[in-house]
Amino acid sequence: MSMPRFFTLSARWLMPMLVSSAMAATEADYYPITTFTTPPGTALEVGSVELLPDDRLALGTRRGEIWIVKGAHATDPAAIGYQLFASGLHEVLGLAYKDGALYATTRYEITKITDSDGDGRGDVFDCFSAPWGVSGDYHEYSFGSSFDRNGDLWTVHCLTGSFGSAVPFRGWALRHRADGSVVPTCSGIRSPGGIGFDLQGECYYTDNQGPWHGSSTLQHLVPGSFQGHPAGNVWYDRAPNMGPRPLDPIPEAYQNGRPRNEANPAGDPDRMVLERRRIKQLLPPVVYMVHGKIGNSSSAVICDVSQGKFGPFAGQMFIADQSHSNLSRVCIETINGIRQGAVIPFRSGFKSGPIGGRMDARGHLFLGGSDRGWGARGGQPFSFERVQWSGKLPFEIHEMRAKAKGFELSFTQPLDAASLASVNSSCIRAFTYAYREQYGGDEIDEVKPSLSEVSLSEDGKTLRFSVQPLTQGHIHELHLDGLRNTKGEPLLHSVAYYTLNEIPR
Amino acid sequence: MRVFVLGLVLLAGANAADIQLRTLTAQMKYNESEFQVKPGERINLTFENGDDLPHNFVLCRPGTDVLALSLRQMDKPEEALKNNWLPKDPSVLAHSKMLNPHERQSFSFTMPDKPGTYPFVCTFPGHAMTMNGKFQCFPQGPQLSELRFKLYLGSWKKLPDFSKLAVHREGAIADNLIDLKFDDYKNEYAVVFEGKLKVERKGSFRFFLAGDDGVRLLIDGKKLIEHDGIHPSGSIREGALQLEAGEHAFRLEYFQAAGEAEVFAAWKGSQFAITPLSRFLPKGWEFGATSKRREFDPIVLEPKVGPVLYRNFIADAGNRAIGLGLPGGINLAWSAESMDLALLWRGAFMDAGRHWNSRGGGHQPPLGYDVIKPLGAPPQASEQRRYLGYRLDAQGNPTLRWAWGEAEVAETYQAQEGGLLRRLQIKGALPKDAALELLRGVSAQAKGPDLFVVSSKPVGWQLRCVGARLSGGALQLPLHEGEQTILYQWNP
Repeated sequence: MSMPRFFTLSARWLMPMLVSSAMAATEADYYPITTFTTPPGTALEVGSVELLPDDRLALGTRRGEIWIVKGAHATDPAAIGYQLFASGLHEVLGLAYKDGALYATTRYEITKITDSDGDGRGDVFDCFSAPWGVSGDYHEYSFGSSFDRNGDLWTVHCLTGSFGSAVPFRGWALRHRADGSVVPTCSGIRSPGGIGFDLQGECYYTDNQGPWHGSSTLQHLVPGSFQGHPAGNVWYDRAPNMGPRPLDPIPEAYQNGRPRNEANPAGDPDRMVLERRRIKQLLPPVVYMVHGKIGNSSSAVICDVSQGKFGPFAGQMFIADQSHSNLSRVCIETINGIRQGAVIPFRSGFKSGPIGGRMDARGHLFLGGSDRGWGARGGQPFSFERVQWSGKLPFEIHEMRAKAKGFELSFTQPLDAASLASVNSSCIRAFTYAYREQYGGDEIDEVKPSLSEVSLSEDGKTLRFSVQPLTQGHIHELHLDGLRNTKGEPLLHSVAYYTLNEIPR
Repeated sequence: MRVFVLGLVLLAGANAADIQLRTLTAQMKYNESEFQVKPGERINLTFENGDDLPHNFVLCRPGTDVLALSLRQMDKPEEALKNNWLPKDPSVLAHSKMLNPHERQSFSFTMPDKPGTYPFVCTFPGHAMTMNGKFQCFPQGPQLSELRFKLYLGSWKKLPDFSKLAVHREGAIADNLIDLKFDDYKNEYAVVFEGKLKVERKGSFRFFLAGDDGVRLLIDGKKLIEHDGIHPSGSIREGALQLEAGEHAFRLEYFQAAGEAEVFAAWKGSQFAITPLSRFLPKGWEFGATSKRREFDPIVLEPKVGPVLYRNFIADAGNRAIGLGLPGGINLAWSAESMDLALLWRGAFMDAGRHWNSRGGGHQPPLGYDVIKPLGAPPQASEQRRYLGYRLDAQGNPTLRWAWGEAEVAETYQAQEGGLLRRLQIKGALPKDAALELLRGVSAQAKGPDLFVVSSKPVGWQLRCVGARLSGGALQLPLHEGEQTILYQWNP
């Protein structure tokens, strides 16, 4: 790909910005949601979605049922049909299909379920893998992936409560091989909300705000890595493949009566960017799902596998939020060997709190969930829904990429050069979260950098600017409210949060 | 408490009330949803956040739509975030800080003089739907007047027909509070209390009643609430009716068999709070009927056409339990940790309410009765036996499969002869001296070559098994290839 050519903007003689008087476009114009009816007599609290042959789906629920769904692809939502495949399982937060069998990740095992007599109901329930402990604590959720390219299943296991790991492998990611062997893969997990793969087959999970997590996050499950919460590290002796136990992070940097919100003039050591230097296995979040703004409780990890059938975001990731009942969009790049990227709001207005979701190759994004236990903005106790692209091209930030001295953004439509005058230092701020045992945390260490040297590519779709300084480890919050496309329309979503783990060299 | 109740009329408004409010772990709820307070009362509130999420307490003026109040913050989320999700709204009367998990705050405020229902809510986004409650701020209502008692002697299991009994003793009760102070009689007696209730204004009234043992409440000669039989006073029953302005006849019938003797009665009107009419006050009386204070709404799992499986946290069945409810009301819980039959019981199968109304934690006991725990304590994970899975037949009956050494054990259950037949089919080589423990920690007697009787209280039961051996306190079944059966039966 040839680099776009840029011209530097001289804004002085540009026309004042025109305020669009047309009806503001809404998310629903571009990404309509279809809400399906659900089977009577049960609460279809969707915790997992798997794609089956013949355009069927399998839904696993928090109530321990598995439903086979037909007709979920049809234009008419009334075409949907459900058949109960299994029930009585202990909370199905992962479903994977292979060779006629469904592999359900439940509280205490991965159950391989087959329908041996072909009557549409599962009748053989084999324990496929159950190497992790369970103590009865509500918090000990286990989420499972679909099969990866090697034929392995990935599971992530919530801690016992927020601070402890009472039984083996609470707070770990495990891989389960077809031969039944288990590979402890990552430590440091706190409270997962979902797990999924990107187009390259890399595995990600979402973690939730709490101890060691100022905000919910999207995390990259690099085998051998420590994901940040040290409580589960007591199980390193059961994972010789993982090498020595990592150093413990500093639980509390502020001491001697200094309040948490008061800055230490000497600087605090409890920051991810600093602890990474000390704890070699520690991997920072790919993206902070900025608490209270992007969401409060990240869940499903959904890759756009549609190659454009879902619109202009092929290959990007969609992350659901159970509390905010929304989907956000994440674009990821690898800088200095570490994954990082930006999160951008995408679609709100789901009827309940999304937990499980998948996209199929035709660009149907299926999403379901429940509000049980935490509440959700959607207002319904449970739901199963579909999002599709309407075919209209939304005016959106396409990608945000870090550069050595600033950022580069691509857009789905050419920008009106006149609106570039609105891009200035007031559009950007940077902050981070403390990396400490405290439950959640404020946006701290705020930096107000200067933004300059705004330039636009010749095709009008790529914007570049310098940011001085760029702060490693900080979330760079960018507001582009003043940008317009050539029709004078504003961005559908004008904010992006870029997690700058690494500054390109 | 007595002084408080007696002094209500005089002291209303001058008292201070200490109120403890807690958030429940993992339920998105406060521990109480209703408090009874007085107009003008000083409230000392201790608010403790027992959950893993931040929560606050925001008390609002009567009529405030607390859900809308919380939701409106989403119009300007950034501003609301800056204000720590405390709505800037004139309807807010008093509030706590946004408490972090496991933080606690004590603070005081004064209730307005105006009687009414003052709602409270957690205004953290998404919490208001389930995290709300009420301060019922009403003065106390009238007491009984002209209260008299009639004492009867006798031994009953149910309330007697008082019209056929001779009064042993009777008299007036000076302070007009129902009480069981009959120094000479502790057991085997009955009492009828009669008095008058004055209703100021026509309206709907609720009455509350609890007793140890049987109690019945009649208003104007009509039965309103009854909880007959021998039982503790634990649950408060309620009944409601319309009453015209004026005087109404109050009659409470009570009997005592033996042991604890307690009676509680109270009433509530639209313009006054729950007002005790008795001296005895059971725990939580301020909140009215016990049934309305259930921890979770029940979700009863019922085997109708076929068996029902429930893999979840079942109390005393370990953390990897497989519950099986059979049609006809025979149920069991099997441990996929130890490969043991942990529980069997009769009647209703399971209430999934604990696991399906909230976050899913905690161990739920069987819903039915006559629970047998053949191995006493909850099962411990087995080092040797390995859980393999189960297969369902066409009717949905599971065959549980597990491995021991080179052997594979297939285990089925079926209701039979008023009990449960457990069948083991074993293929392959078992470890040497492999024996299944059938009883532990319960005393059993051999009543025949294959019959073992457990005379435990309150549930007596027996077990038929060819080849089982009783030694010490344990009953062992040496296993061999082929089929072996065990029949568990409750005593007829």
